[in-house]
Amino acid sequence: MGELGQYILNGISQGCVYALLASGLTLVFGIFDIPNFAQGHLYMFAAYIGFYMVTLFSMSYWLAVILATIALGILGLLTYGFIFYPMRDAPKVNCFVAALALLMILEGVALYFFGTETKWFILPHAKRILTFGGLALAMQRLIVIIGTLIVMVSLQLFIKRTTIGAALEATAQHREGAMLCGIKVSRVSALAFTVGTALAGIAGVLIGPAVLLMPTMGMGPVLVAFSAIIFGGLGSIGGAVLGAFVLGLLESLASGYISATYSLTFVFGILILTLLFRPKGLLGKEVWRP
Amino acid sequence: MRKLYSLERVSWLFVLILAIVVPPILGGYLTSILILICIWSMMCISLNLIYGYTGQLSLGHSAFLALGAYSFGLVAVKLHIGFWPAFLAAAVITGLFGFLIGIPALKLRGHFFVLVTLGFAVTIGVIVLAWVDFTGGANGLAGIPRPDPIPLPWGVKFRFDSLLHMYYFVLLFLILTAGFCHRLVSSLLGKTFIAICHDENLTESLGVNTMSRKLLSFTISAMLAGVAGALYASYNAVISPEIAHFTRGTDVLAYLIVGGSATMTGPIVGTFVLVAIPEVLQVVPYLKTLINGVILMLFIVFLPSGIIGGFKTILPKLGGLRGRPRAGEHDIA
Repeated sequence: MGELGQYILNGISQGCVYALLASGLTLVFGIFDIPNFAQGHLYMFAAYIGFYMVTLFSMSYWLAVILATIALGILGLLTYGFIFYPMRDAPKVNCFVAALALLMILEGVALYFFGTETKWFILPHAKRILTFGGLALAMQRLIVIIGTLIVMVSLQLFIKRTTIGAALEATAQHREGAMLCGIKVSRVSALAFTVGTALAGIAGVLIGPAVLLMPTMGMGPVLVAFSAIIFGGLGSIGGAVLGAFVLGLLESLASGYISATYSLTFVFGILILTLLFRPKGLLGKEVWRP
Repeated sequence: MRKLYSLERVSWLFVLILAIVVPPILGGYLTSILILICIWSMMCISLNLIYGYTGQLSLGHSAFLALGAYSFGLVAVKLHIGFWPAFLAAAVITGLFGFLIGIPALKLRGHFFVLVTLGFAVTIGVIVLAWVDFTGGANGLAGIPRPDPIPLPWGVKFRFDSLLHMYYFVLLFLILTAGFCHRLVSSLLGKTFIAICHDENLTESLGVNTMSRKLLSFTISAMLAGVAGALYASYNAVISPEIAHFTRGTDVLAYLIVGGSATMTGPIVGTFVLVAIPEVLQVVPYLKTLINGVILMLFIVFLPSGIIGGFKTILPKLGGLRGRPRAGEHDIA
């Protein structure tokens, strides 16, 4: 136990954040084939929204979690309606550029309105540290783990047990086929974008009180999340979650035993190795439209 | 079309003459902005080669800029081997990095190439900031030399200690880069780049080794970005990890798309418009990312071919002129 157990625990709680981001990315990636680079910045935005709701409007944290998630969902819907829906027939590469432009806009808004200085999102309960069996875990990290579990289970139920979820999965598997079955693809796409962005929102507002807030805080996690979905196998939420936990553990162990500053470099190394030697990922069945 | 073509040539000659004649009467502030415009234009041209002409969207150019700037700065400051050897070393080192990262990255297509280059850019940003012993970390690297004075006949020396001289030096490099890219794209090799942009599988089926062509294009592009970085380091005398931030790459992508990708003049026009306007309007630095993002979004949604591309489709219609498209001017697929 001791050191190793602590690193594993940290890795799991970090993996939860990556899992939320990666499953949101997978939804958008599966249906649109667009890597939404702005996902990390949306996550940053949600953390700030939660921060301002609690500090400025003195709301309860749980209300802030719900409102920030809804706000991000609406933002995702607007993004789809004003940017990606008009571009549905444009070349794919233009959609990447639009996602980058969205990233720049969000970063610019954050720099201008939220300021460049780092912010502490301090909650009364978040200061508590739980200790058991020699391991320490911040209260907020426990909330992140439990929240992720709830979200993941309900997402899985939504996709597997509801008709709308089935339509979502069908569209991701075969767009034209889904159209032929009478599924309104543009509505399903709007839904996927909304849910995908709301997942980034939950991740951001849950992790906010456990980290420092700054306008660039989303870039590292989104790269890890992208690496996770490639590592785990594109197109499957299960693969994305598995990849997220593996990379979260790896990052925690690497920063514990080697160096914390270079942890992103290790993740990038894993990404390159996966793409070179097993491009379909761990759970992927085939290479995702090369 | 021939008439339009000659009009275009005359107007660019006019712009060149303006670029040479006007700066002496401008103040130091405006000259320094012109220097930056020249440097970012070079970077934009290098991105145009790999994205506009070869069709591979690279977000790793901020890393190449930083590699060029830091390798030039480190070689010049720590080894004291003079301006030109350090400059050459910077170009070679950046080209080598481009080659090495290109081998795994260019095997991938579409999103995966974009993701790997973005990952590379962020990684280099982390390393530059974290490897304090080597790069100076957040304190940056100071004391980077200006070019050595060039001895002219009659015992006169052309020194680079004034801003104006530095401007002409950078302008010369911009003209050389633009000319080089123009020749490259018009050549048979350049035509294979354009063919890869249109349809990579089809090009491969014609017996072209697309991997080696893409790798060549990427390496040249990286090297040009590295040269731009070395010029930036030499002009600024101090470099900090900020230049390695990946938003430098996305900003330059915005310049390229606003100007018009896959056109020869687009990168320069786009850089000029997007750098000059915020400077003239005295915009707060933090708002620049926001403004660039909004403008990029508007162009990519409504006018993806950019300013120059838009002109090229509108002008012939207005004049009722029809002509065959010239080499190197094609709509990006």
